[in-house]
Amino acid sequence: MTTTTTPVVRKPVAWGRIALHVGCLAALLVMLYPLAWLLATSLKPADEVIASLDLLPSRLEWSNYSTALDGVNDVSIWRLLSNSLLIAGGAVLGNVISCSLAAYAFARLRFRFRGPLFAFMIATIMLPHHAVLIPQYIIFNQLGLVNTYWPLILPKFLATEAFFVFLIVQFMRGLPRELEEAARIDGCGPFRSFFKVVLPLTRPALITTAIFTFIWTWNDFFTQLIYLFDPDKFTLTLALRSFVDASSTSAFGPMFALSVIALLPIVLFFLAFQRLLVEGMASSGLKG
Amino acid sequence: MPGHRTKGFCASAAALALCAMLAGCGGSGESVGGGKVVLRYTWWGNPDRAERTEQAVALFEKQHPNIQVRTSFSAYEAYKQKLAVQASGGDAPDVMQLDYRQIDQYASGGVLLDLAEQKAVLRTGEIDPGLLATGRLDDTQYAIPQGRGTETVAYDVKAWKASGVPLPGKSWTWSEWADTMRALAKKTGKPGATDPGQSEDCFEVWLRGRGKSLYTEDGGLGFTADDLTRWWTFTDKLRREGAVSPAEQTTQLDGSVENTPLGRGEAVSDANWDAPASGFLALIPTGVALAPMPSGEDGTPGQYFKPSMFLGVGAGTNHPKEAAQLVDFLINDEQAARILGASRGIPVNESIREETASQLKDFDKTIAEYQSSLEGSLKDPPQAPPSGDNALQATFQRDYDQVSYERMSPREAAENYVTEAKAELRS
Amino acid sequence: MTTTDIPAPATRKPGATTTPKRRPRRESQGPAWVFLSPWVLGAIVLTLLPMAVSLYLSFTDYDLFNPPRWVGLRNYVQMFTEDPRYWRSVVTTLTYVVIAVPLQLALALAVALALKSMKRGKGFYRSAFYAPSLLGASMSIALVWRAVFNDGGTVDNLLGTGGWVNKPGWALLAVALLTVWQFGAPMVIFLAGLQQIPAELYEAAAVDGAGKWRQFLSVTVPMLSPVLFFNLVLQTIQAFQVFTPAFAIGAGKGGPADSTLVYTLYLYDRGFVASHMGYASAMAWVLLIVIGVVTAVLFRTSRSWVFYASEGDR
Repeated sequence: MTTTTTPVVRKPVAWGRIALHVGCLAALLVMLYPLAWLLATSLKPADEVIASLDLLPSRLEWSNYSTALDGVNDVSIWRLLSNSLLIAGGAVLGNVISCSLAAYAFARLRFRFRGPLFAFMIATIMLPHHAVLIPQYIIFNQLGLVNTYWPLILPKFLATEAFFVFLIVQFMRGLPRELEEAARIDGCGPFRSFFKVVLPLTRPALITTAIFTFIWTWNDFFTQLIYLFDPDKFTLTLALRSFVDASSTSAFGPMFALSVIALLPIVLFFLAFQRLLVEGMASSGLKG
Repeated sequence: MPGHRTKGFCASAAALALCAMLAGCGGSGESVGGGKVVLRYTWWGNPDRAERTEQAVALFEKQHPNIQVRTSFSAYEAYKQKLAVQASGGDAPDVMQLDYRQIDQYASGGVLLDLAEQKAVLRTGEIDPGLLATGRLDDTQYAIPQGRGTETVAYDVKAWKASGVPLPGKSWTWSEWADTMRALAKKTGKPGATDPGQSEDCFEVWLRGRGKSLYTEDGGLGFTADDLTRWWTFTDKLRREGAVSPAEQTTQLDGSVENTPLGRGEAVSDANWDAPASGFLALIPTGVALAPMPSGEDGTPGQYFKPSMFLGVGAGTNHPKEAAQLVDFLINDEQAARILGASRGIPVNESIREETASQLKDFDKTIAEYQSSLEGSLKDPPQAPPSGDNALQATFQRDYDQVSYERMSPREAAENYVTEAKAELRS
Repeated sequence: MTTTDIPAPATRKPGATTTPKRRPRRESQGPAWVFLSPWVLGAIVLTLLPMAVSLYLSFTDYDLFNPPRWVGLRNYVQMFTEDPRYWRSVVTTLTYVVIAVPLQLALALAVALALKSMKRGKGFYRSAFYAPSLLGASMSIALVWRAVFNDGGTVDNLLGTGGWVNKPGWALLAVALLTVWQFGAPMVIFLAGLQQIPAELYEAAAVDGAGKWRQFLSVTVPMLSPVLFFNLVLQTIQAFQVFTPAFAIGAGKGGPADSTLVYTLYLYDRGFVASHMGYASAMAWVLLIVIGVVTAVLFRTSRSWVFYASEGDR
């Protein structure tokens, strides 16, 4: 055995690499199967959308897409799309700024009650949000902000998503302190060392924050439902659900088509930013 | 670096100021220039209903130049959540569409205005008194029914005919229905109907056929564990025989016709409300017909004309008169009725119902004919169910799941349900 | 949780006499509060205030419309002693946590490690593996899931197990698999953490004669531990709060036969469907305390296995 395989062993690395690729592709096939199903369903005629258990439609029903592209109730799909983008974009900006600020304080600066405040911040992740929904609604209603985008964006500028604060804190803690010490010796205050030294190094975490915020805000149905009243302020996610009303007739086909359409912006956002993720890594990890 | 301290305070102050500014900016929602009265009107439905409603509302605005109506809608389940949050936050809309099951809760919670105060602009004379009474609680008219619906046995005409089993006639009893389902299952190899055991609505029809009711006048439970045991024993037996859908099918019901066994092509018929039954047509293009619900063994009808939805006015509205005018318009205006068609159920205003009947198209016509075939033979609807019913509807289904998955006997599950229901209705 | 959970200077307070020597007091607290100001404002107005309200409501009978009525501990007593469905939801949730969290983290870590060692196609694989996570648990994906895991669906055809979503013993697994399938978030966090590990460490280890496995254990694991810890804590917390996948697959009811009625779904059912917001608030606070205890335990054990670069050479 050993003698016959000797010629092959000359390139053992390549085999391992091929096995890795084969394994990954096989895993991907399983992973992406439901997505293929989603895509195929968006082209199924009405009587097959739910009832058929075959992947492929018997004929392509393109009218699902034209119905979806018509928008909902005089509100064009572009309006819905730009509303969604506005909210998601605002949320990304808010989270990246406010969460990195708070995270730096928790990770690096000294202040009174740091321990208890950190514990409190973690605790805020633990309360199910359904329990605070109504009090929050009352607050925003008192501020006169219901039926505006503020209830969806303002909390992000106030670092209420402790998940991301914690995420960035963990990353900052992983950074070697020497760089900041050096900056400090060079006369940098905490502000300059935050902007010049820490922030660039935390880029992978910031980009991660941006990606997650965008996707999660984009898909967040409940908050948008509660706070938005005027249909022309509606988002794609809200429009999506309006196709399926149990009390009257539903349009599952167009809903699937709209789901696919709504998926495009987040796919693009992810593709654009995951490239930055690579650059961020190259500049921080390898040279750090 | 002593300067940092002051800097910190400055930044905090600036942040606070910014927030105050944001708060100031947003607060301009309600007052639209020109001295116009602005009404907020919300409802649930699908895009088709949205389109027709917008048209009707535009007509109303044309007739009342001093009123501007801002509308909003969502699908049914989402709507209920949204309205609950709005109402509990003191932000209920001026005019809102309400379900039978919401009336009691919203009225007793002080969310709804007494509509008798607006009698001058809100006419109710053309509505059947029995139907109108469903929007009344403690002698106060909190809501006006907007459309009416009733339950029906919707069936796949082609499959039924092919089976050779005689088509349903003008009436049948529950035992005749059960025999028919058995025959259908035998001939077609698939269940005759959705298992009705999970449905509180079907149980109510069965119960009324026996001269009882779901709830008593004062909001207590109208039946005993024995009644429920009998019902669930009846349906459980049919399920075991394969005459109605198995648990694995029944559990997938989510309210949409697409997820019923009939919609999936796994059964021949489905007991449902008549308005959503129109959705079957898209799934079974070869034809869907409507038969009445089974009656009690002595012929007592159990089904009734139920308001498919109500309109109510928010107690906190600044413009009760204008809000009432909008309600009146949606219910009594002929042109509005023509635009709305049967998108909200068959109109409740009797002269409008007769007038528009001839203009109804497609399945709307089928529904209207089905309803008129029942006219005069049904009993008055019960008063709106107590607020605990919201929870109990789901509990009913949950407890029956235990029966259909054979984890509990009908007796055990029924005892459970009655205990839970009594606790729910007490609180 | 206590202050001792936080590594770094806070833990050093007791030894105050030695502190000044090592860390002369060269910074004031001012800058910290500047950095914290948005968070403080948000925490007070949008978090603390609503939390306080919900704590108060947990001691009341509140139907959303009429003013809350003080009932003392009745909600808590009822929950623990009179509500069998509550306990079933607790068991369901614990089962879910035990299935979903390890599976998802293991998968995310495995894929992240596989991608890290890859020279070509990394961007493609990362995007492709992340794709399912873009969807969230939307209604469309729930319908897809129900079709794939139905009687006669793909899984049934391949494995011959029958449908999963409609069988009480299997439905929770289908819900957990939906979460596991969307392992993109922890994967990306793992990847970012892996990239942060300085290459010199591997080079040094290689010079010392460490093989791949040895490098993994002595470089990757300790250097990745803060990120691993983060993912573990957050995924555990999120798993305890799982709502959307169960809501979507169980058609909002937690069916079949309550088998997917997880804790927050039941909480939602009590609060918004049955309008017992007081009871729902009490449920929320019990959950908060339970998650708090679990997290505190995780934080405590973390001291023995989580390694922070910035503290190693303090």
